[in-house]
Order: sequence, then structure tokens, then C-alpha cells
Amino acid sequence: MVEVISQGINLPLPLLVLLIGGLTSLMVGLLSERIGVARLREVWMIIVSSATIISIYYLNQSVQKAGVIVISVWGQLPPFGGCFEIDTLSIFMSGSVAVLGFLVAIYSISYMEKESRLTEFYTLMTFMMAGMTGVVMAGDLFTLFVFWELMGLSSYVLVAFLKSRWGPIEAGFKYLVMSATAGAFLILSMSIIYGMTGTLNFAAIADSLRGAPTSPWIMALFSTLVVGFGVKSAIVPLHTWLPDAHPEAPSPISAMLSGIVIETGLYALARVLFLTFDPTMLKLPIAFLAVLTMTLANVMALLQSDIKRLLAYSSIAQVGYMLVGLAAGTAYGFMGLFLHVFNHSMMKGMAFLASGSIVHETGTRDINSLRGIGKMMPVTSISLFIALLGLGGVPGTNGFISKYHLFSAAFGSGLGWLGIMGVLNSALSMAYYIRIMQVLLGSPKEGFKANEAPILMLTVTMAMAVIIVILGIWPAPLISFASSASQSLVEGLSTYIGAVLG
Amino acid sequence: MVPLEPILVSVGLMFVIGLSCLMVKRDMVRILIGVEILFNAANLCFIALSTQVPGFVDPYAHSMVMMAIVLDGTVIAVGLAMVMNVYKHYKTIDIRKLRRLKW
Repeated sequence: MVEVISQGINLPLPLLVLLIGGLTSLMVGLLSERIGVARLREVWMIIVSSATIISIYYLNQSVQKAGVIVISVWGQLPPFGGCFEIDTLSIFMSGSVAVLGFLVAIYSISYMEKESRLTEFYTLMTFMMAGMTGVVMAGDLFTLFVFWELMGLSSYVLVAFLKSRWGPIEAGFKYLVMSATAGAFLILSMSIIYGMTGTLNFAAIADSLRGAPTSPWIMALFSTLVVGFGVKSAIVPLHTWLPDAHPEAPSPISAMLSGIVIETGLYALARVLFLTFDPTMLKLPIAFLAVLTMTLANVMALLQSDIKRLLAYSSIAQVGYMLVGLAAGTAYGFMGLFLHVFNHSMMKGMAFLASGSIVHETGTRDINSLRGIGKMMPVTSISLFIALLGLGGVPGTNGFISKYHLFSAAFGSGLGWLGIMGVLNSALSMAYYIRIMQVLLGSPKEGFKANEAPILMLTVTMAMAVIIVILGIWPAPLISFASSASQSLVEGLSTYIGAVLG
Repeated sequence: MVPLEPILVSVGLMFVIGLSCLMVKRDMVRILIGVEILFNAANLCFIALSTQVPGFVDPYAHSMVMMAIVLDGTVIAVGLAMVMNVYKHYKTIDIRKLRRLKW
């Protein structure tokens, strides 16, 4: 059932593609400046991201055959060396990363064409994708931390990318300080785990710590883990960087950050908490955080007048819904969580890309001055409309499917009040989505003019809108994939442990 | 074996110092130094716990801490680069002048 690759220096194939692609992208950028071939970098980025999708497809086939693949990095056998441990859940998450990365890469060709330093932009974007792929495939905390910081570093620089204005730099510094503090807490939690078990390997941790009696050290471990992963995934008392950093980044990067980076944090939180603790112990604290996160974020989103900032608060609220699945702690709850991760990456990615098109054409992010934009940019507005309906959870879009599963998982595991809170919050969130829709449909002021976005941006947003509607009407394949992913986490735990410890 | 308690107490103290440095300092470079103190406290905790195996010192924790030091260094370098850009915009590195992004 298990395939172990331990000869020589090994990396999982998608990660290898992304790392080599990122390193060569610098040279390709230099080459395109020297020989004057335009758009070489963009084409290279698209080649790399599509090669990643293809390699994930092949890796998926061998994972389906073998169950769990263990790849040891330097030829040392785990649990003594760093390793990658790939199951269906890793494939699901890395697939989400690669699909969103591919779409964003196409979008940023025309969005970023007036900016300078594009070589750095595409290189950092490739490394951010590499970091996320590494995080979701890591088999021990050491490997996870290295790729976590790779993802973090690239995203700090990308947030502060447009450094000629004051906003991105301020937001980037805030993001950096908060995330670096969280990184210190992460090392502290790793050292506590190391002190208790003598290893950092996930399988060995799960084997020795799961079901251990509650002690002060276990509580310290729980709180440091929640702080360490919670800042990146924007759980509410730790969310304050997000509404600054996500709107100030360039729009393709906002889509990446909101769509998948915070979900990678949530993946790491879910994976490590599930492996370290019994789900019954997590129930109440995580449920409390979930209610706090979605309520506060929805109330704050109501007050915003900046469209990208509103969407950023909506991302925090969606993280709250995802935490409901983690609080439920069953395979069904995790299925809802990971289903919502993919669906949210599509919906929020698309909402940011569409509002990015609007910002690109009009140059303002103020909702009130965008009144009537639906008449000037009909295609962008229709796709933004679909994304907002999906985020609000209207039936017929994929947001409804995943929210339905999340909340019914909460009811199924005895957290009925959490499910009710979720439904109420979902209704409340519709209030600010409808506000944007009203602005899109309203009649424009005198002398307000904007052109429709370039064709590449339209293609990407329309493609994502089509994906949202198709997955809302015919969700069966995605649900079965997400369900096998969550089963590989919950019910395949003994396989996961046995793959390393034998 | 090195006694563990004094080191753990100093790790706790370093965390308190680092966090209070993040909260009260105005200078952005000092804030980054606070982050660095936090990182060093966590690394110290790692090293202290690696000596607790009877008979030998575990090299796994040391390789981990080596890598963590490199990563801290890069994070701080990026932070310093941002401080330079802040200085270009505001002609000061006082964090209280950076209050244009409200909640």
C-alpha cells in the first residue's frame, strides 16, 4: 500500500518543476531583456504552471495506486531525516494551488504589463507556489517550516511589490512583522513537540502524542500551534494584517493570497492539530474561534467602502466557515473544509481578479464612485456577480454546496449552535454582497467612463465563472475527490503512520 | 545533562522581552530586533531540549536550528529592505507615523 522512495536526492515532481522553473525564470527574464523578445517571462510562467498541473496529474495516478508515497529528501530514511509524505489530501491541495496559479498567471500577463520588474514578479510568484506545494506535501514539521517560510518570504515581497506608493510598503511591513512573530511561535511549538516526542515527523508525532493525557505542556503546545498557524490563516484575534495586506497587493497577488495562501495556513493547522490531538479536545476552542472569526469579519465587512478591502474581510469570514469543518472533526467535516478550500479559491480568486479588472480600468477602489460600472464593463460585472452569489452561498453555485456540507457536518457532530451561527452569518454576509451588486447595476453618474477589460483578463474571469456554475450544478466529481482526500486524513491515519513507522 | 529549568525560564523571559519590544518600541529597526529576539528564544528552547537525551546531544535539533537561523536572517533582511523603503517615503522610521492604514 505504501511506496517509499529513498535513493539519492529526491523531491516530489511538482515541487521540482516549480523550484527549477523559479530558478530558471530569473535567467529567462534576463534573456528576454537582452535579446529583446517581449513576453518571454510570461510564456515561461505559463509553461511552468501548466507543467505543474500535468505533473500533479501524474503524481495523483501513482498516489491512487500506492495510497501514500513517502519521499525522503537526502536519502536518510524517516523519521530521522526530512521527508515528504504525499496522500490524496496533498494532491487535492496542491491541485488547487496549481489551478489557481495557472489562471492567475494568464491574468497577470495583461494586468501587470505596464509595471516594471516583471522578472522578479514572476519568479516570486513561482516560488510562492513552490512554497505552498511544499507545505501541503511535507511529511515532517521541519520540511513544513522551510517551505512555510519560502511561501511567507515571497508573499511579503509581493505584497510590497508596488513600492512607489506608501500603501503596499506599510501593509507589507505589518504583514512581515506579524507573520515573523507567528513564525517564532511556530518554532517554539515545534520545540515543545520535539521535547515531548524527540522527533518532528508527522507520523511519529501522531503515534506518540495522539490521545496523550492533557497536561500544561499539551495546552501550551495547542496555543502556540494556533498562534503560529493562525496568523497566516487569519483567525480573528490574529487577523489584523489581512485587510491591509490583501487589498494593497497587486490584484493577481490578492487573488493568490486570499484564494490559496491563507487556506494553506488552514491546511497546516488542520493537519497538525488533527495529527497531534484527539478531535474531541479541539471541538470547543476551535468552534469558539470559528464563531468569533465569521461574526467579526462579517460585521467589519459591512462597514467597508473599499471594494478590495471588503473582499479581504469576506475572506476572513470564509476562513471562519472553514473552521466549522475543523471543529466538527469528522471525515465529513474535513470533506466540507477542503471542498470549501477549492471552491473558495475559485470564488474569491475570481472576485479579486474581476475587481482587479475594474480597478485597472477605473483607477478607483471606492465602491460608491463605481456606481453603474455594470453598464461599461458587462462581462467583468457578470462574472463578479456570479462570484459574489457564490460567496454568499446561493444555490446553483459551488459556494452553496460546500457551505451546505460544512454546516450539516456541524449539526452531525453535536455542534448545532455552530451550524446555526454559520447559517445566520452566511445570511448576514449577503448584505454586503448585495451592496456591491447594487452598485454594479445602478445607473452611472454623468461623465463616468470606463472601457471593458482586455481580452485575456475577460477570458480568465469568464472561465472561472463557468467553473463556479458547473461545480454548483454538477458537484459530484469534486465531492468524491474531496471526500477521498478527507478520508485519507481521518480514516487513513493508520496508513499514514504506518507508511513511515512500518 | 544541562539542567533544563533555568534555560526554559530564560526562554520565557526572552519571549516577554521580545513581545514587549514589539508593543512599545517606535523605531522600526528595533521592532525587527524584537522579532529577532523571539526567534532566538525559540531556537534556544530547541537547543536546550536537544540536550535532554541521556548520553548524547541530538544532532537533529541542531540541523533544524541552523536552518531556522538562516530563515530568520532572510526574513529580517526583507524587513530591513522594507524599512529602507519606508524611510524613502516618510523620511522617518517611526512606526507611529505609519498610521494611514486604518482597520
